[in-house]
Order: sequence, then C-alpha cells, then structure tokens
Amino acid sequence: MGIKSKRDKFQIGALLLPGVMVFALFTIYPITKLFYMSFFEWNFGTMLEHPFCGIKNYIDVLSDETFRTAFVNTIIYTITTVPGQMILGLLVAAFINSIPRFRITFRIVYYIPVITSWVIVSLVFRYIFNTEGMLNYFITNVIHISTANIPWLDTRAGGMFVLILLGIWKGVGWNMVVFLAALQSVPQELYESAEMDGCGSIAKFFYITIPCIKSTILFALVMLTIGGFNAFTSIKMITGGKPMHKTETVLTWMYYKAFNAGEFGYAAALSFIVAITLILLAILQFKAMQQSDSVE
Amino acid sequence: MKKQSTKKVLALATSAAMMLTAFTACGSSQAPSTTPTQQTSEAQSEEAKDDSTNGDTVTINFWHHYSAQSAENETLMNVLIPKFEEENPGYKVNAVSHDWSDLHDKILISASSQTLPDVARLDIAWVPEFQKMNILVPLDQEMSDFEEVSSELLPSAMSTAQIKGSYYALALNTNTKIMFYNEEAFNDAGLSAPKTMDDMLAAAQKLSGTNANGQQVWGLDEPALAGWNVLPYIWSNGGEITDENYTKATGYLNSEATVNAVKMLADMYKNSEFTGFNSGDIPMTDGFGTGRYMMLLEGPWKTSELAGAYPDFKYATCEVPAGSAGSISVLGGEDIAMFNTANKEGAWKFMKFMTSDFAEEEMAKCGQIPVNKEALDSDVVANADYAPFLDAITTAKARPPVASWSEIDNELTTAMTSIISEGADVQETLDALATKVDALLAE
Amino acid sequence: MHTINKQKTIQNVILYGLLLIGGVFSVLPMIYMISTSLKPNGALYEYPPHFFPKLSQITLENYVYIFNQEKFYLNFLNSLVVAILTIVFAAIIASALAFCIARFRFPGRKVLFALVIGTMIIPGTTLIITQYQLATYFKLTNKLLGLVPFYVAWVIPFSTFMIKNYIESIPRDFDEAVYVDGGSIFTVFFRIVMPLASPAIASVSIFNFLTAWDEYQWALTVINDNAKRTLPIAISGFFGQHQFTQWGYVFAMSMASLLPVLIIFICCQKYFVSGLQTGGIKG
Repeated sequence: MGIKSKRDKFQIGALLLPGVMVFALFTIYPITKLFYMSFFEWNFGTMLEHPFCGIKNYIDVLSDETFRTAFVNTIIYTITTVPGQMILGLLVAAFINSIPRFRITFRIVYYIPVITSWVIVSLVFRYIFNTEGMLNYFITNVIHISTANIPWLDTRAGGMFVLILLGIWKGVGWNMVVFLAALQSVPQELYESAEMDGCGSIAKFFYITIPCIKSTILFALVMLTIGGFNAFTSIKMITGGKPMHKTETVLTWMYYKAFNAGEFGYAAALSFIVAITLILLAILQFKAMQQSDSVE
Repeated sequence: MKKQSTKKVLALATSAAMMLTAFTACGSSQAPSTTPTQQTSEAQSEEAKDDSTNGDTVTINFWHHYSAQSAENETLMNVLIPKFEEENPGYKVNAVSHDWSDLHDKILISASSQTLPDVARLDIAWVPEFQKMNILVPLDQEMSDFEEVSSELLPSAMSTAQIKGSYYALALNTNTKIMFYNEEAFNDAGLSAPKTMDDMLAAAQKLSGTNANGQQVWGLDEPALAGWNVLPYIWSNGGEITDENYTKATGYLNSEATVNAVKMLADMYKNSEFTGFNSGDIPMTDGFGTGRYMMLLEGPWKTSELAGAYPDFKYATCEVPAGSAGSISVLGGEDIAMFNTANKEGAWKFMKFMTSDFAEEEMAKCGQIPVNKEALDSDVVANADYAPFLDAITTAKARPPVASWSEIDNELTTAMTSIISEGADVQETLDALATKVDALLAE
Repeated sequence: MHTINKQKTIQNVILYGLLLIGGVFSVLPMIYMISTSLKPNGALYEYPPHFFPKLSQITLENYVYIFNQEKFYLNFLNSLVVAILTIVFAAIIASALAFCIARFRFPGRKVLFALVIGTMIIPGTTLIITQYQLATYFKLTNKLLGLVPFYVAWVIPFSTFMIKNYIESIPRDFDEAVYVDGGSIFTVFFRIVMPLASPAIASVSIFNFLTAWDEYQWALTVINDNAKRTLPIAISGFFGQHQFTQWGYVFAMSMASLLPVLIIFICCQKYFVSGLQTGGIKG
C-alpha cells in the first residue's frame, strides 16, 4: 500500500520506532563497537587506554592453535548435529503424520527434550556419561561390550561425542514440529495421483514430500547451522572445554578469552570472524538451494 | 495528535495485558494469585532495597566462596551476619556465594563494569593480581586504626596482604593440606601411615586395582592439576617452580627434581594409581567416602564435609609424605579486602567484625583455621584438633605472590594435563612452560 | 481390498513400534533424572547402581529440601517475571515491525529486513562483550529487569521473521475493508492483523518464553546477587565443580523448574504446529 497522509506516516513511524530502537541500540551499536574493538588492544590490564593495534588481534586469533581446535570442533559439531537432527526429525514427523491415533501424545513426548532447559539436560547427560555412571555400568556389566569403563568426558573424541549426541537428541523435537507443519501443507492430491501411478510409500516420500517441503528444509538448515555455531551452555556444563581446551567451541573460547583472560580485543576479533563465517555459510546455503531449484 | 497517541499507547498496553492474561491462563495451574504486575513491582521494590544507600540503612555487599551448602555458609548467614547487623544498626550485609573460580572471574568482570561489591573474601593467591589492577584499598594508609586491628592477627598471615610495603587486606583464615587416607584399607593391607613419598608410592601400588565389586580403585586422588594440587609433590621432592625472588622459572620449573616429581605423578596415572582430575571422574569426597580413592591431600574443611556426607567412613590423617626435601605442603588461606568503590566505613566495620575473635571462633567450628591470635588460643581451636594442620603450616610454602599467578597457574595446569593424562614428554613440556612463565614473571 | 487393509495394519504396527522406541530414547534421560531425584543422596554411588530406586529407598527428601528453601521460590519468580516480560515486549515490538515490513513500502524497508535476517544469523553470544558494556553503561548489570531488554533484542529477529511470513499469508482484503471505512493503520494493526496473526505470535512467544526461561550465560555474567538469580543459575549453583555434587538436589530442582514449562507446553501445544503451518516458513 502506498503511504499518503501524514497520519499514515506518523503511525508507521510509531509502529517501527520501538523495533528500530532495539535494533540500533542492542544490535547495530554492539556490532559496530565490536568491530571497532577488534582493532585495539583491550585487556583488563589496559582498561583505561586502548592502543590501536591494527589487525594484530585477527592474526592472533588465526594463529592461535586453541582457536583452530575450537573452530574445527564447531564445524564437526555443526555438520553432525544438523543432518542428524533433520533426518531424525523428518522421519519422526513423517511417521507421526501417517499414524491414525496418538499423534499429539507422540508430539509431546518428542518435544520434551526441546522444552527442557540446556542447563538441566547438560547436567543429566554429564551424570549419565560419568566414567562411573549408569551408562558405563550398563556397557561393562550388563551387556558386556567393553571390559573397562569408557572415559566419555575425558578425551576430545569422547567429549565431542557426548556433546553431539546431546545436540541431536535435544533438536529432534524442534525439527519434528517444523517438518510436521510442512508435511501437513503438502497437497493430498499429489499423493493420490502418485498412488495411481503405483508409487510406494518410499517413492512418494522422495519424489513428492521432499521436493514439496524444500523451503522448510532450507529454513531448518539455516536455523540449525546457526544453532550449531551457537552451542554454548552444554559445552560449559559438560566438559568445560576440558581436557586442555580441546573440546572448546568458538563461542566458549571467545567467552573464556573475554571474561577469564580479559582479552577483549582478541575476543572481539574472534566474534567477528565467527559472524562473517556464518553469514557466508548462510549465503552459500541459499545459493545452493536456489541452484538445485533451477536445475529441476 | 497528542491525545490520539496516548490513546494508542493505552491500546498497546491493553493488548499487552490481554496477551499476558492469555498466557498466564495457559500456565495458571502453577502460578496462582500472582499477577505479573504484582511481580514486577515486587522486583522493583527489591531493587530499591539493594541500593547501597537507601535512607538510613547501608547495605554492604560481600562476596565469598564458602560453598552454598556448607557449614561455613550456614554460620555466616545465621550467626555472623545477624550478629553484625545487631551490633551495627544501620548496616545490612548482602552476602553472595560464588564458586571459587567463578568468584575470580566475577571480580574481573565487575571491575570492568564498576559493579564490584564492597568487601570480598579473596584467595591469598589473588591479592597481588587485584592489587595490580588498582581495585583494592590500601588499608594501612586509609584506616586510622589499622595497626590496632592487624596487631591482633598473625603476622605471617598478614604478610599475604602486604604488597610493596602496603597492606591491601586483612588475613581472614589460613589453611594447608595434609594427607587423608582410608584407615581401614591401610590396616587390612598391613600398611602404616604414608609418611614418605616411598610409603605413598608403595601404598598406591598395593591398594590400586579392583575391589570386591570389580570396580576400579585408585591409590591417589587430586581433583585438579593446578598449582594448588601438584606443588606439594614438587616441593617435597626438592623441585621448585621459580627462584626465591619470583623472577625466573627456567632452571627451576624444568630442573631435574621438578621433572622427576612430575614424572612420578605421570607414572602413577599410567599405572591407574592416580586420578580424579578428569571431567568424568568421581568427585573427591564421594570417591574417598565410598572407598574408591585411598589417599588424598586436603584441607581442614574436609573433616566436616566427610562427617556430613559419610559419617561412618573411617579415615586417618598424617603430614604430606616427605620426599628428599622433607614434607612441604602448600599454604592456602583467604584474606578479606575492600574494593575502592566500597562504602569504606561500613566495609571496614564488617572486615573488623569478620576478623574479630568472635567471628573467627565461630568459623573455626566449621573447619576454618583462624588467624586471630585470641581465637587461636580458644578452646574451640584446641578441641577442633587442628594440630596436624598447624604443624603443616609451619613448613608449608606459599604459591608465588605475583600478579600474574592466575595466568601462570592456567599455563601450569595445561602443561600438567598434557604430561599426566596425555603422556607428553616431561622435560620438553616443562622447558616450554618455563619459558612461558619467565615471560609472565617479567611483565 | 482386504490385503491393502492388512498391509496398512502391518505398516501401522511398524510405525508405532519405531515411534515408541524413539519416544523412549527421548524421555529416558528425563526418567533417569526423576528416578535419581527420588533417591537418597547417599545411594547415588551405590553398587550395583539401580536405574529405578528400590521401593524402600524412594524418598522425597530432595524435594522437601528444595521446597523449604526460600531462595527457590524467589529464583522461580525471577525466571517467570523475566520470561513473561520478554515475551510481551518481543510480541508487541516484533509484530509491529513485521506488520510494517509485510504491508508497506517505506524508505529503508529493505535495509531493515536485511538487518532482521542478518542478526538472526549472528549468534547473540558473539555480541556478549559489547552488550555487557552497554549493560554497564545503562546500569543494567545486577538487575533482574536489566535482563529483559537484552532477551527481547535477542528474540526479535526470529520473531519478526516468523510473524512477517505469517502476516503475508493474511489476505489484504481485510485491511482494505478497514481503510475504505476510514480506519487508520493503527486500527488495521490492532483490530485485524494482531488478532489474525495471533497463532504465529503465540507460537513465537512460546519459543521466546523458552529462550528467556532457559538462558544461562548472560544471566550468569550480569547477575551477582542470590536474590536476583534465575533458575538455571540457581540449579547450576548446586553443581559443585571440585567438591561433591548433591545430584539429588540438582535433579529435584530441575524437575521443579521443568514442570511449569511442561504444563504450558501441553496447554498451548496446538499453537506450535498451527503457528508454523500457515505460511509460517516460506523462506
């Protein structure tokens, strides 16, 4: 609609004002300031004066071995949890969509991990995966797969495994809800005509369902990638980055550098690198999806 | 126009309220009778209460790391603070408990945002660091009765608060670690108290293995690999981490004696005789109380903790096992300090109260070794049987009182972890660590 | 016809079976949590460990302890206040933004929408340093209500995005009818769009409620006093790093904080799908 009268202008302005203010103050200003800070030496020690140091912080970040470990961990976490959650979530959604009864019950059951807070589920997982915990007892003394307790939380591989498992477990429900919404909007006629052509359930799933919910898949992909990079509380509570910062992710390392070591300039540069990586990833994902669209 | 917009604001507010009702209706089963507006005003009035000067009462914010469920915290909240508030009308104390490492970080963060508390209980190892940040008040310069107050406290403990000729805190309590061991297991195996490093190694070798349930048992436990944990082993075996003046680590931290001491721990870990510092390990008290850890070095607070959690468990204590250099434990303890943003009058009153013989005696009942001379002579201390700890304190050494200690400690922990749990070469790792520490000491 | 029915039955049995197995895995950790919270603290390192406490062992001592702590109610209330204020402000601000972006071409519209998308992509935690400085500047640190503006700022991009997509699926005929009758933009927003978009608003509000209810790191960083702590911080406070952890208390408190969310979810669960369904996600 075109905006004509003064009243219209005023009213649109009034509606936009709070949101724009929030963006300006709590998002644009912090990002700009962060960018600015990343070029300065900004430590607990130099709280009052911040000498300009060019791209030193960026060089420090990129040449820091712990950062590289953290970055690799984040990538591993993301490329395992994202497909893991999506595939399981889509399967559960497809199953729930095809059963005649108890749909709501299953929906609630699968959604419980999503609504449970990260602090709680992290503590529960830590308790389960303790070296002397229930799981190890089950593995060594009940089903006898291993003779010795597995030190889940004490190695990089073990720690990452637990974090990934938690990430997938907690995310399936969200994907289920998102995909369930999408599945219910797929036109029923398409399935009916496919059935006429003698398509089985699996064929229908791949030739009708998947193409129809492509935009949802993209949406979930982008959101979950962001979520993967955002992983924080679980790492803090379960491994704390141990052993020797080998299970840090980019954000936990950033937080450690900022609030434990007081190297704000370094942390600002790190944050910026993460933000840029994510924006590039998102663009890439959109592009890839568009391309596959045009191929068809 | 103006009138119109106020009306719209009202409309906005009403729609907000409607949404709110819709939402609380959803969850009404768990939140009866409190409407959001009530809650908000409650929260606001609470904030008003916490402002440090509100009419005639002054609130003193006090941060500490007595753990939230400990006897010390109970004493603080139920005995000491009520008594202080009664004696000093017009003052209120808002005590906040933090985890030990959180407290350190919280102080750093709050310093950057000017939201420091008035008073804090600080690990003696942190005092130089905070002094260097210029956030502590030099008490001997600003408090006229400082001499009088400090003369009641042990000079050796007060020395932890002295930096470059000025005092930045009052000593609050002191401690050190001694050996706790599982008496029953030792008796069953025909072992006597592990008084020397060789005894300890022999006992660890003999007692480690599997118990009747087929569960792993470890001879020695340390809950972390920081300086506080590994230094007694290094020092007692003749190792050092820096020279006497805390200016150099190379030649000390990578000396043969230090290397051998660290090697000893690494070998014990390799032989499954030593653990506790991995994320998945059984926590110290539980492991000791359930017979999974046989020996550990701990402070006086462990006694009341064990009595609370494992009252039937039988253990005994002795000094830190002696090595080639004798039995050298690590000196711990806390100081109480005020920050330069504090309400100085109230903060000083509270600090004097906390170091008074009354408060120190009360804290002594829950395992805190007093530094107030009068409290040390009291019956409480005599009955608490701190004797082994008091003896150990005379030979214990302090961690280097340097501003960069926290950073050095982080580097030390990382190096120890890579040696002990990852099997990195001891000499090489310590050489590299010494170079790093040299740089930190030079700062 | 008969075979098709039989096939359907077999298929259903398989589906129910698979869903049941998955369902068990999804609630198993929670069940373990409940069972641990019913065990006495001393039994946590017993041998052999029991998944369920023995009947004779079942105790409510952990719950009694938690519910006797005055702090618990305060922490609970704190979380509730923060979460409710967050969803209210976020709902109003985000739907106003979404409405304008969806319906009008005003200067800067594209920039604004790009901002919405852009900030949705950048994790909130990356901005924690400068947001902390901001909080300090506005004296919002160590204030319960100081949490709210930041939570609102975090959830607005996603909320705006979702609500905007939903509003775009509402036919403009309704708006036009109001304008023809001489109604203003405000009238359309409050009388038409807000009510019609309420499923989307409700569904993002539930997400926002969870975000605020759940939030840990920011609250841990800015809140100092016990009395102002929110539930996640209070729970993690029971978890001692080096000493011994009273898991029974931890899990009893976790259960007590999970229950209200569960109830809200079960009451409002129909909004989840319906809000996401109608054009909620169109990319």
